[in-house]
Amino acid sequence: MFRLFDPLRTALALLLFGAGVLRALTGDVFALEILAETAVFAIAAMAFDLLAGFSRLVSMGHGLFVGTGAYVYAGLTVLGGLPPAAAAPAAVLGAGVAGLLVGLATVRTRDVFFLMATLAFGQMAHVFVLRSPALGGDDGLTGVPRPDLSALGVDLSDGRTFALAAVLLAALVYLLLGRLLASAFGRTLLAIGADEGRVRALGIGVARHRVAAAALSGAVAGLAGVLAACHAMYVSPGLFHWTFSGEVLTMALVGGVGSLVGPVLGAALVVELKYAVAAWTAHWGAVLGLFLVAAVWAGGDGIYGRIARAARALRRRLRPGPGGAHVRDGAGSA
Amino acid sequence: MSYWIVQLLNAVQASMLLFLVAVGLGVVFGLMNVVNLAHGAFYAFGAYLGWTVLQATGSFPLAFLLAPALTGLPGLAVYALAVARMQRAGHLAQVIATLGLLFVSVEALRALWGDIPLEFPVPPALAGSVDILGTPYPVYRLSVVALGLAVAALLWLVLSRTIAGAMVRAAVDNVEMAAALGVRTGLLFPVVFVLGCALAGLGGVVAAPLLSVHPGMGVEVLVPALVVVVVGGLGSLQGTLVGALLVGLADTFGAVMGPQLSGAAVYALLAAVLVLRPGGLLPARS
Amino acid sequence: MRALLPAVVSVAVSVLLAGPSSAREYRVGLLLPYSGVYAALGEEIEAGFRLGLEHFGDVLGEDTVTVLKEDTEVKPPVGLVKTKKLVLQDRVDVLAGIVSSGVLAAVRDFVHSAKVPLVVANAGNVEATGPKCSRYIVRVSFSNAQIARPMGRYMAETGIRTAVAMAPDYAAGHQHVEAMQAAFESGGGRMLAATYTPFGRTQDFAPYLTQAQATGAEALFAFYAGSEAIAFIKQYAAFGLRGTLPLYAAGYLNSRLTLDAIGDAAVGSINSLHYVTTLDTPENRRFQQAFRERHGRIASEYAVQGYDAAHLIVEALARSKGDPEAFVDAAREVRFASPRGPWYIDPATNNIVQNIYIYEIVKDATGQLVEKILKVYEEERDPPNGCDLAG
Repeated sequence: MFRLFDPLRTALALLLFGAGVLRALTGDVFALEILAETAVFAIAAMAFDLLAGFSRLVSMGHGLFVGTGAYVYAGLTVLGGLPPAAAAPAAVLGAGVAGLLVGLATVRTRDVFFLMATLAFGQMAHVFVLRSPALGGDDGLTGVPRPDLSALGVDLSDGRTFALAAVLLAALVYLLLGRLLASAFGRTLLAIGADEGRVRALGIGVARHRVAAAALSGAVAGLAGVLAACHAMYVSPGLFHWTFSGEVLTMALVGGVGSLVGPVLGAALVVELKYAVAAWTAHWGAVLGLFLVAAVWAGGDGIYGRIARAARALRRRLRPGPGGAHVRDGAGSA
Repeated sequence: MSYWIVQLLNAVQASMLLFLVAVGLGVVFGLMNVVNLAHGAFYAFGAYLGWTVLQATGSFPLAFLLAPALTGLPGLAVYALAVARMQRAGHLAQVIATLGLLFVSVEALRALWGDIPLEFPVPPALAGSVDILGTPYPVYRLSVVALGLAVAALLWLVLSRTIAGAMVRAAVDNVEMAAALGVRTGLLFPVVFVLGCALAGLGGVVAAPLLSVHPGMGVEVLVPALVVVVVGGLGSLQGTLVGALLVGLADTFGAVMGPQLSGAAVYALLAAVLVLRPGGLLPARS
Repeated sequence: MRALLPAVVSVAVSVLLAGPSSAREYRVGLLLPYSGVYAALGEEIEAGFRLGLEHFGDVLGEDTVTVLKEDTEVKPPVGLVKTKKLVLQDRVDVLAGIVSSGVLAAVRDFVHSAKVPLVVANAGNVEATGPKCSRYIVRVSFSNAQIARPMGRYMAETGIRTAVAMAPDYAAGHQHVEAMQAAFESGGGRMLAATYTPFGRTQDFAPYLTQAQATGAEALFAFYAGSEAIAFIKQYAAFGLRGTLPLYAAGYLNSRLTLDAIGDAAVGSINSLHYVTTLDTPENRRFQQAFRERHGRIASEYAVQGYDAAHLIVEALARSKGDPEAFVDAAREVRFASPRGPWYIDPATNNIVQNIYIYEIVKDATGQLVEKILKVYEEERDPPNGCDLAG
């Protein structure tokens, strides 16, 4: 089962959170931009993990949910004149509905077929947005406002404050999702991922749980979209494209799915790596590609899985008790 | 009337190109259970290597013959370095690593041949056009249709009438059983993988005179090829052929009849197939 | 820290050289795609830009220009992040470049509120010098409508009565076709159909070409660039349409950058563009010769855009000493004799006013593909289109 306060997971999450806060407080302008982008991807990758890590449903369509969140928020504020406080919940809800619909349509597909079905829906949404003059078509929508929190003494138009807020939002998502996954709902999702047939035989509604997880994953990804729209103050159809979904997928898998903290780690590593390498070569794609290959060679369960295995080995060596077997091992089951 | 026949020809010609690219992807999936997103790279390598052979020798037949053969070399490298050791790693790991290899291949193409697209002319022998019910139609495109059908027929013959084909079919059905019966999968897998890469390379060099040779071409072809394989049902030759025809038809007639929806028709087809038949149309295994 | 160091050094240098003759280091942020589908354009514009700095940098006297490159890819959010970095962290005096309209749209509000001059060296979206114009954004390349409008006029003037159009389905495609159509129809022509193909995903144009041919129109107007352009024109020629459906195009279709990849398929097509490589002027001869010595090929219109951007920047820096307001004022006043002919910035819109050339691709005696000019529309200017910077 998934334990929110597993020591290793919690230590890594605190480490990442601490690094994020430190960076938000001390980083230069560029670092703040990268940090906010990392938060967007971290939230989207956690949403992805909800499906991939627990129910073994690897989606190539999370751009659809991120894009829906971003466009509903941008559309309601820029075109509809609504205040951000009303538009943001509506955007999250809208992305949740998108998740629900995609979840319903793909409920019978598995594995690569699920991946391709989500890709299909994402691409159809991409074409739709690209061809909607009302949504700005290829050029997107500009002038997207950030929420006004001046009543609380918080100025989100300041880059540093915004980056800090983005990190806090990602942490909040981590805690909420972790809480949920540690519940009976999370255990059922894990069971579906392990053996869908057996869960069905137990009389548990597999379809119901899968659709609910998709809706939730969509809503969380939609929140990432709202954050992206607020960060750039601009939205463009690229959010819907499969290459964006592929980025989310890559980050989550590199970091290690099923751990919730792995995707955050993956997002941070890939975003940092991309900008760092792009600073010295236009061929950064090759470095990123080799990094992906290396990440797989390190073990199929991502960097978090690698760390968890190393931690287990270390513990065994430190406590060579009689028999040496440690049945109760939190990280092992994640 | 002739208008619709010409459009049908356009669709079939597009389908045959897709078939050449997708067949290797589908067979590798069916046989080895490996999702190889780097497959698009071999299509691009075929076009670029063909261009280089043409520049060096000036001979079209050599370019068309050597390009697929040379494409097998990076194919073998990818098999040895990545695919062989990832066969049991699961689809997730395969998706990431092969996507990584695809990125690397794009940069390799840029570094080796530059960013500016290259010219690959139509072979003079096939440069003309023939009259189809009053509309001139390029001979080269007709040749592509003929080539696609010939390759499909040849593959069908090999798979259904030869010992090697029987081994492949047995291994697709059940690897352990086939191995127990004496099929040398350690040899069979790389051979099939490299042949699949060579077919993608053939698709690339055949497409080169029609389209443009540029570094992004391998990424562009990847998604349509995946759609073909998945719509058809993974790993069956008939499935890939049917998938290619459906995708070619959807793309062409979607573009012609609903210009507002062109580009979405292929994805609508994919979504519809997967919603109704979650395992594709003609899966190799039930 | 990395960014701070040069700043510290330059402060130290200016302290050492204190006095009226102290040299200043201007920083120019170059925003171009170095990866992704427009990478070749980014390289070409930068090559022209560097040549421009070399040819015209003298006007700055002792002062120097340092170029800071950033890769915008083809992603608007990436372009915005890189722009913020150049402005807020590297403290550049001027921004230049930007190939894709999407990136320009994304950075527009930030550049406008940061009041840092931006010299656009490619992106042609009409809004950028129309309803979304900014005093700080000056365009030395072209607007989509500026290239297409004269072609519509030319087609009507040469007696073509009906036409069809094909373009990729994104803002630039629509803007080219709409501007061409408006001019063509006000000249008495009639557009029978306009087909927009999926942008960046279309490699096989056969269905659309078959469709265009079936309309029975007298001419085909097309706007494509890069790898799509190559595929388009080769297929157009292969379907034997040259005899039945003559091609009129926005000149990127046969850009020098890709003309060799197109080959003979380009022969006979008629193009409109703001630059022709064969212009016989001292400025163009000097430019082409220097570019060929450096890069071994003919410079394309993209290289000219980079070259002219550099020229405008050094001129305006020399006059303004780096003050952004004075820079913009200077940029709006200077007049240039460029390889592409005379040009200046329209004070009403900040868009360039320049000649548009109508030319045919022909084979010369040695078998080389060259441009033969058919007509020149001088001082082509966009209407203000909701922009009023003059007042």
